[in-house]
Amino acid sequence: MLKYLMARNEDIPPGSSAVYWGFSAIVWFVIGTGLGAFNAAKLAFPDFVTGLEFLSFGHMRQVHVMAVIFGWISMAFGMAMMYITPALGNTKLWSEKLGLWNAFLWNVGLSLGLTVLWWGMNSGREYSDFPWFIDLYILCFMCIPLGINVWMTIIHRKTQGIYTTNWFFAAGTFMISIVLIVGNLPEYFHLTGLTEAYLTWWNAHNILGLWITPVAAAIAYYTIPKVTGNPLYSHRIGHLHFWSVVVFYSTPAAHHLMSAPLPEWLKSFASVEGVLILVPAIAFVSNILMTMQGKWNMFVENLEIRFTVTGCLMAIPLNMQGGFQQTRAINWYIHGTGWIVAHAHLALLGFSTFLEVAAVYLGMQTIMKRKLWSLTLGNIHFWFLLIGFTTYWVSMTIAGLIQGAGKIYEVPYIDVVIAEHPYMIARWLGGSLVFTGNCFWLFNMWMTARAGTVIPQGRMPHELAYER
Amino acid sequence: MSWKMDAPMVTLSDDATTLKNEALWEKEDLGGLTEDNNPIPKPVIWLVVLTVITAFLVTAPLWGQRPTAALYQSYVDSMDKPEVMAAKDDEDAMKMIVAMNKGTSNDALLERHPLTMDDLRMIKDQVKALEAKGVDMKDYTVVGNHVVIANFEGNYRPDGTRIRQQPWWDKGYTIDLFYLSYFFLAVFLIVKRLPPTTWQPRHGHGSH
Repeated sequence: MLKYLMARNEDIPPGSSAVYWGFSAIVWFVIGTGLGAFNAAKLAFPDFVTGLEFLSFGHMRQVHVMAVIFGWISMAFGMAMMYITPALGNTKLWSEKLGLWNAFLWNVGLSLGLTVLWWGMNSGREYSDFPWFIDLYILCFMCIPLGINVWMTIIHRKTQGIYTTNWFFAAGTFMISIVLIVGNLPEYFHLTGLTEAYLTWWNAHNILGLWITPVAAAIAYYTIPKVTGNPLYSHRIGHLHFWSVVVFYSTPAAHHLMSAPLPEWLKSFASVEGVLILVPAIAFVSNILMTMQGKWNMFVENLEIRFTVTGCLMAIPLNMQGGFQQTRAINWYIHGTGWIVAHAHLALLGFSTFLEVAAVYLGMQTIMKRKLWSLTLGNIHFWFLLIGFTTYWVSMTIAGLIQGAGKIYEVPYIDVVIAEHPYMIARWLGGSLVFTGNCFWLFNMWMTARAGTVIPQGRMPHELAYER
Repeated sequence: MSWKMDAPMVTLSDDATTLKNEALWEKEDLGGLTEDNNPIPKPVIWLVVLTVITAFLVTAPLWGQRPTAALYQSYVDSMDKPEVMAAKDDEDAMKMIVAMNKGTSNDALLERHPLTMDDLRMIKDQVKALEAKGVDMKDYTVVGNHVVIANFEGNYRPDGTRIRQQPWWDKGYTIDLFYLSYFFLAVFLIVKRLPPTTWQPRHGHGSH
């Protein structure tokens, strides 16, 4: 793959960059969930690996979070964009070479960023933990080049219209750049106090709300119609979804700071908008499930559909939680507890990951023109991910409620720690299951590239999935 | 691209625009994907309406506020009563104070924001000092061991001081109303520019 970095754009086979992005994403997923399982082990067994500063939880937490967000999730998005954007415009990617360099610089920048976090150099701002020079690198060498390639491919499309998925891709790449510029202003200009707190959570909220959520949903808008062969149920619901994401997700940052001395009217405004994130969720879930009409057998039979529909269904509890947990009436109880950690994993490891995994399975097989090496390993991957994630989510939700009760009723901290211990072990087991499943996935995709059955011209991978 | 206003719930595009859009919709192949022109289902519309109503009701500023200094005035006063001072320990004293102050409209709030005798001791002098100044105790909130001016910016009183109390309606809600109105108007205009939902594209799938 690296040999193409210096090749002329015309000499690079179409899809090369998507494969690079895809494999990078899987490797980061293995690393990110491995780090997560390691961190969970430290919480379950406090004597596990002590004495080394760079392996302490305080250093490792940020490395795990950033590896997953910018390594796994964002690189899976890059893979989907390099592959789906041109396909929907009946054209080629604007620049395979830019795509390859972008993925290369993404890996370099992320490795550098995680290294400095490991050393203990961080901004102290959650979800924006990288120091300012890494933030600037992410903006200039990672996100903007990705946006340029996506936008230029859409501009050079051979269709008159633009399919729903590409609205989200174009908007997502634009919005993440704005989020990273504005959200990191406290680091560039040393803003402090409430301004810093507000912008920190505006940044954190919108990395999820204007990048991860819409782009993950966009992938489902492609995967479901493509694999089932059904038309998307409603173009109109697509409009409702798209505009409600842009309008409602962009505003509620203050709902992360309901107990902070921000103006109360700002909290009221944000809290209403926070509940209204249910609007895009309703639109998305209804459109995808209605598109499945007549093809529900594929939920059982087809790996990509199973992943996508499962991820789509997770959007329901995700947004029910997200919409209501931020209200004044509920937030006072669960704020600062494991409930929030469970919710964040429902968003990133549940909803969005399941949609992205489907896209990577489908895209990699399609571009490499290779049938999945082992469907059994693919199925094991699905169940390990689902059981592992569910174990994690349920255990952390319970732990969060215990912490909430402990916080409100002023139970001595050590008693809360003891009460939580079984759930911390369950969390570690769930996380380890996810990590193990991802190791299987990496092996399976590697073998697919090396020894997968060739897919004949004009056939889709899922059509051949059960043919031996 | 002309507009037609005679049947806004059906379409806002004139016949020529609609025919042009229909022809494009049928012919266009977006990487092998197609889209239908189904209406937004009624249950989805009702769910969206329900969400909007719920959003305003459930976030009402009445819920989940910090306790005001006024809430604990009676507790602080009770601290100096002889029977409380004669209590065998702090726990017993606090139980007495709680029992003495039951039966007011503050019962639910006091139950939600319980205190210990240590908490009361830490805020007692601050509450007394404010009482001596003659301020409205509802303008102050209790944050941990501090009694501080509440974070609200209400109207000015005739004496020039500002009301620092949670209104049942604040300007955040007003902004929300405008924001939502613009959103729904914009989405309405966008989807109603599409061909009427009585028309469905034929994608060669037959059933649609």
